Amino acid sequence: MTALLEIRGLAKRYDIRLGAFGEKQAVVRALDDFTADIIEGETLSLVGESGCGKSTTGFAILNLQRPSAGSVRYKGQDIAGLDEDAMRPLRRDLQIVFQDPYSTLNPRMTIGEALAEPIRFHGLAPKAEIPARVTRLLEDVGMTPRFANRYPHELSGGQRQRVAIARALACQPRFIVCDEAISALDVSVQAQILNLLLDLQQKYGLTYLFIAHDLAVVRHISDRVGVMYLGRLAELAPSSALFAEPLHPYTRALLSAVPEPNPRAPRNRQRLVGEVPSPLNPPTGCRFHPRCPLARDICKTSVPDWREVGPSHHVACHAVTGPGRTNWEGPA
Amino acid sequence: MAMIDIEDRPSSLWRDAWRRLRRNRLAVAGLVIIAALVVVAVFGPWLSPYDFLSQNLDLRNQPPSAQHWLGTDDLGRDVMSRLIYGARTAFMVAVGVTVVAVLIGVVLGSIAGFYGGWFDRFVMWFTDITMSVPQLLLVVVINASLKQPISLWMEARYMETLNPIWRNSQIIDFVLVFGAMALITWPPYARLVRAQVLSVRRRPYVTAARAMGLTNRLILTRYVLPNAMGPLIVAVSAGLGTAMVLESAFSFLGVGVTPPTPSWGNMISDGLRVWTNYPHLLAAPAAVLAVVTVAFNFLGDGLNDALNPKGQK
Repeated sequence: MTALLEIRGLAKRYDIRLGAFGEKQAVVRALDDFTADIIEGETLSLVGESGCGKSTTGFAILNLQRPSAGSVRYKGQDIAGLDEDAMRPLRRDLQIVFQDPYSTLNPRMTIGEALAEPIRFHGLAPKAEIPARVTRLLEDVGMTPRFANRYPHELSGGQRQRVAIARALACQPRFIVCDEAISALDVSVQAQILNLLLDLQQKYGLTYLFIAHDLAVVRHISDRVGVMYLGRLAELAPSSALFAEPLHPYTRALLSAVPEPNPRAPRNRQRLVGEVPSPLNPPTGCRFHPRCPLARDICKTSVPDWREVGPSHHVACHAVTGPGRTNWEGPA
Repeated sequence: MAMIDIEDRPSSLWRDAWRRLRRNRLAVAGLVIIAALVVVAVFGPWLSPYDFLSQNLDLRNQPPSAQHWLGTDDLGRDVMSRLIYGARTAFMVAVGVTVVAVLIGVVLGSIAGFYGGWFDRFVMWFTDITMSVPQLLLVVVINASLKQPISLWMEARYMETLNPIWRNSQIIDFVLVFGAMALITWPPYARLVRAQVLSVRRRPYVTAARAMGLTNRLILTRYVLPNAMGPLIVAVSAGLGTAMVLESAFSFLGVGVTPPTPSWGNMISDGLRVWTNYPHLLAAPAAVLAVVTVAFNFLGDGLNDALNPKGQK
């Protein structure tokens, strides 16, 4: 198990000015202190409500949005905030697939041109071989070569998402961020694209950072799952451990919200009160404390440490008392 | 694994837009009129029945007749020939001015929108200033301050080289009219392109191009600009019509093309003085100008609908 990417203390802040003359300054903390290793060949999923910073994490890791702090080590080099010229040779290895299939492809380029672009730009094949490469990429994502001279607007959402995956593959990457890559598709198409992603992972030994909000999907495909709340990691654990024994109160509430197909099954729904606070003025201490059923005084003042409480099971919570245990049952 | 297939009948966005445009009758009518104008402007010397300058003082202010279809003016010149030559003037000025203005607008607007920062602020500040100056005033000032020194300079060149091209006063007219009009018409293009670039550069396919590591120049020219062009095409079509009207307006007021070079503007101006006695001298150039302007507007509207089909019904 070697780490492909070592992420330490990654943060993304946006400085904004408010008021008619920009006299009030404020900081949006979209992502704070993200620390994790991404293991070669694994699927690491990030889940959380919208606005919790999971997409920002993907963009900051790829340096598509310059991180405000922290480091991302790849091949022994810190790529966080690297300038574009130095980043260029590494971009090939680190790719991304987006959520919206309708704006993921350039409307003025045929599918073949879109797929040939990275091959030509990075010199991955001699000019004469590019059409053959494009054909193989299309076949890799289950499409006939006839799509090569078509334009994106002639394709369905699922087909476009396949092309977007093929475009990422065209760079022969090692790591792909799937930023809600299946969220916008029909359920039946979701399953097809998901299986395609898993097949390609096996075939090419890819590593995925899978950003999603559908917990059933995440459980099915992930090796490890990270739960985020308001710009911070709350819990990170192997998929089986997280779903079997969630420790962080937010994770428990989130998992208990998953719909149960059997209406007669006994449910122990943990309801959260209140709204997600604004990242513009996040709560002090633990960001979850205003909504946490276990909050104590210490949660209001001190940010909980990122502790390993079980085998590669990390959690950021004052209330987790020991390995695999939490005093969930009642306030202290 | 079963492959997904598709029938072989590609259609690009441009081809779809052209098909939609052809279905719009007014736009097609506009296109036909403009095409006719282009033909007349290009082949004018072969189409016009008389020389536009030759005077026949025995036949002044003639009403339309078999020899002179649109009559003659106060110096006995054939009105139709002058109208045809005026189309050349209008066409040259409109195309020249629009090409220059669009080039300036696209270059400044796209760089400002794509890179932002101090250059963006500077360009926008400059467009604000330019747009705040009254157009007519600017042209009058340029004409009044530059015409004489340029004429003197050209006369000096002529004395040096004896090349008759330096005595061609039309060149001054056109350079000054082109220059002045390009200077006042580029800011709207720059702002339009900038706004388009600002919206396009946030689209996922542009981010995907960045994730591929493409250079900024490639991203701007292959991903951003082609997708920012739609509204610009509409604006250019309308802008060509506006430039023609503007040229006529300046010539009408005597700060544009100087007589005897015919322009629809100075023909209207001449006709206006005698319209109670010889209405055809006003009606002919005015009608042509009106029809051409309306044609450009119809085409612009049609292009707008064809390029943005989502905005309809």
